Amino acid sequence: MKLPRMAYAVGLLLWSAIAFGMGLSLQAWLPLRTETSAVPTPSVVQQQLHPLLDEAWQLIETHALVELPPTTSLEHGAIRGLVSSIGDPHAQFNEPAQDHLVRGHLRGSFGGIGVRFVLNDAGQIVLTPLANGPAARAGVQNGDILLSVDGKALPSPARLEDAAGLQGEVGSTVTIEVSRNAQRLQFWITRELIRIPSVEWELTGDGQRVGWVRIHQFTEQTASELQETLRALKQHNTTAYILDLRDNSGGLLDAAVEVASQFIPEGVIAIEQSRGQAEQIFHVKRRESRLGLDKPLVVLVNQQTASAAEIVASAIQHHRRGRLVGTRTFGKGSVQRLFALSDGSSLRLTTSRWLTAGRQTLDQRGLMPDVEVEEASEQLRAAIRLLSEAVAQSR
Amino acid sequence: MQTTQPARSSMLRALALWLTGAFAGALIFIMGVAVGVTMSQPGGMLHPSSLPFIPFNNIEASLSTDSAPNTTQSRGRINTALLNDVLRRLREQWYGTLPSDDALTDGAIRGMVNALGDPYTQYIEPRFARILREDMSGQFEGIGATLKQIENGGGVQIVRVFPNSPAERGGVLPGDIIEAVDGVSVRDLSTTEVAALIRGPRGTKVQLTLRRANEPRPVEITLVRSVIIIPLVEGRLVSNNEIAYVSLFDFSQQASRQLETELRKLLAHNPRGLILDLRDNPGGLLSQAVEVGDLFLDEGTFVIERDYRGRTRTTRTTKKGLAQDIPLVVLVNAGSASAAEIVAGAIQDRGRGVLIGERTFGKGSVQSPQTLSNGGQLRITIERWFTPNDRLIHEVGISPNYTVTRTLDDQKAGRDPQLEAAIAWLNTGQITPQP
Repeated sequence: MKLPRMAYAVGLLLWSAIAFGMGLSLQAWLPLRTETSAVPTPSVVQQQLHPLLDEAWQLIETHALVELPPTTSLEHGAIRGLVSSIGDPHAQFNEPAQDHLVRGHLRGSFGGIGVRFVLNDAGQIVLTPLANGPAARAGVQNGDILLSVDGKALPSPARLEDAAGLQGEVGSTVTIEVSRNAQRLQFWITRELIRIPSVEWELTGDGQRVGWVRIHQFTEQTASELQETLRALKQHNTTAYILDLRDNSGGLLDAAVEVASQFIPEGVIAIEQSRGQAEQIFHVKRRESRLGLDKPLVVLVNQQTASAAEIVASAIQHHRRGRLVGTRTFGKGSVQRLFALSDGSSLRLTTSRWLTAGRQTLDQRGLMPDVEVEEASEQLRAAIRLLSEAVAQSR
Repeated sequence: MQTTQPARSSMLRALALWLTGAFAGALIFIMGVAVGVTMSQPGGMLHPSSLPFIPFNNIEASLSTDSAPNTTQSRGRINTALLNDVLRRLREQWYGTLPSDDALTDGAIRGMVNALGDPYTQYIEPRFARILREDMSGQFEGIGATLKQIENGGGVQIVRVFPNSPAERGGVLPGDIIEAVDGVSVRDLSTTEVAALIRGPRGTKVQLTLRRANEPRPVEITLVRSVIIIPLVEGRLVSNNEIAYVSLFDFSQQASRQLETELRKLLAHNPRGLILDLRDNPGGLLSQAVEVGDLFLDEGTFVIERDYRGRTRTTRTTKKGLAQDIPLVVLVNAGSASAAEIVAGAIQDRGRGVLIGERTFGKGSVQSPQTLSNGGQLRITIERWFTPNDRLIHEVGISPNYTVTRTLDDQKAGRDPQLEAAIAWLNTGQITPQP
């Protein structure tokens, strides 16, 4: 294994946590695109909605016994309610802090202190520093409970986005307070560039000649990470590839197109259909030095293989570039976009659907593997077996 | 790579918790909304009048004058620029058909109200608000069952099916989870809203789709609605007819009158002690709580209310009362809420009787229903209750003098250790220790 194991766990944990926190399962395919603002046109809703919201707000302000949150929280609440009323299971309103975390993880890197954080049963944020990261070097230890960030105490119970303040510009300093064995400790930590690798590889099979490439998410870094990986595998004289897309819940559209282009010589990868717009066809990008075109390929998939990962798998299957091994995939045929809003919050909406190169939607159906292998522990072995047969035949 | 497995499972646990946390703010704690019965729910203790206060009838009410004036400062209007931007995205870019303007409006108001973080301050959509208004008047028709919300979005469940009701005759069972009403899925609706769908004029039909334990397929039952008359009180003599036992199911309009009638009958047998069972009593009207309290309590403080303006109001019981001297035990549990907690708290504080059972629910706030111009209803928390000794009820509950539990196994086997403890206390002055 090339990359530190901990780093993988971090990436997965954080990303998944955020995806869940946004009210989704792990299926998120988010072509990042910031839209320019246009002049809003008034509608019936606006005419009706605003006076009613105002009316409700005035009543609450006048009569409520409970201490009221800041007005922005109520505005955000109204937007959250509006968005949930449309019935789009993938739509989500992200407050600024949440948006910050989402974007950092779609980029695959961000300024941070190098800690993994999870919520425990008591609603506390528990830290696990990355080996040799800024936090570890400052003395943060596994199991420390985060109490405050830059003097701001965390609420109880805390939410994961309350730890968003750990991230910031590379080179800037953050003060954190943690509790360890009933002691309060303070740390001053300078943020560094933290990378969350989306691609990992190792050698497997007879004589270690099969390159096993795992892609966990499709981030902005995935294309270049895969390029590096394939270059390294070439140096090891691998004879075949396993592209492991199990538990890959998706990510960025562009990254999926780039990954598919590394393995498929030419042709259509996927088709996007938006409402009232001409469909957009994504073709293989014929980049120079594509390294994954020639050797036998098997793609591992499972029920958690979704959206962007399904695009890659379906294109490889459609063009008969390699066989799919594992179980039926998740089946997510919709595309979401992330819109930046004026106050740093963002809105994710389903804006289109996508079809496979064979003009099929996978929504609700998923992709059937060529070789079905239910048992998770058997899937890799089955892939290696198929590849050694293929390698033997080609000789 | 195997090293990531434990990490992932801990992640899932963390996420599950986070989700729980996220839901908690939006959870509407409604227990025991009755379908075709009286409105009774801890979340539903409504101030009987609109703002401003109108003193309760027949109750001596004192309004303290030294409290702080209304110092609410206007914090400005909602900034709608962001909302407009979101609306525009929805209209122009969403891959789907937007629901009606009314539905969008409902969603936005609901979202704003949920952001307050007070589970009892609620927005009720216009179509359900109408039915709710009918509820409080206590006149409606239905199937004769009580509903409760399963936590964490698990749906709505039947808690109680009343004898000789359409629900009982049709084979509805406690524990059934309602999947659909007349073919409309109710998975995302609150108890109030499901109750609204089930209710209707007598003689009309309603079809329920129920999920039942150990049944692979949903059960479909069609019922004919009727007028539901349910006794609010159940009384009997126990312990060789020496002790009177009376159970009060809720604090709806007829509660004190029915309790008084039943008490009269029981007291005619000259029992040596009295057990008032308020277990699983979800509350109801405050005026009924005062009248019920007055049956047992002599003159004195009954409940203290503090409102959003910082005003304090003390409600007192009067000299009259049917059962002011007889040794008294009140049975309570975690299902005793709201008005039930006020009665139990006053009896405890005034030393009138002992409480046996488990800590009560902890719903000690009042919501005032406000009608919005779209017909929807905003129920805003405007007051909190305190016991005569100034103990806060809200989110604290009332702790019994003697904690005695009744497990699910006890219930299944028909055992009632709490009642046994009450009888023991009245007979011997102490409770039999639990095994």
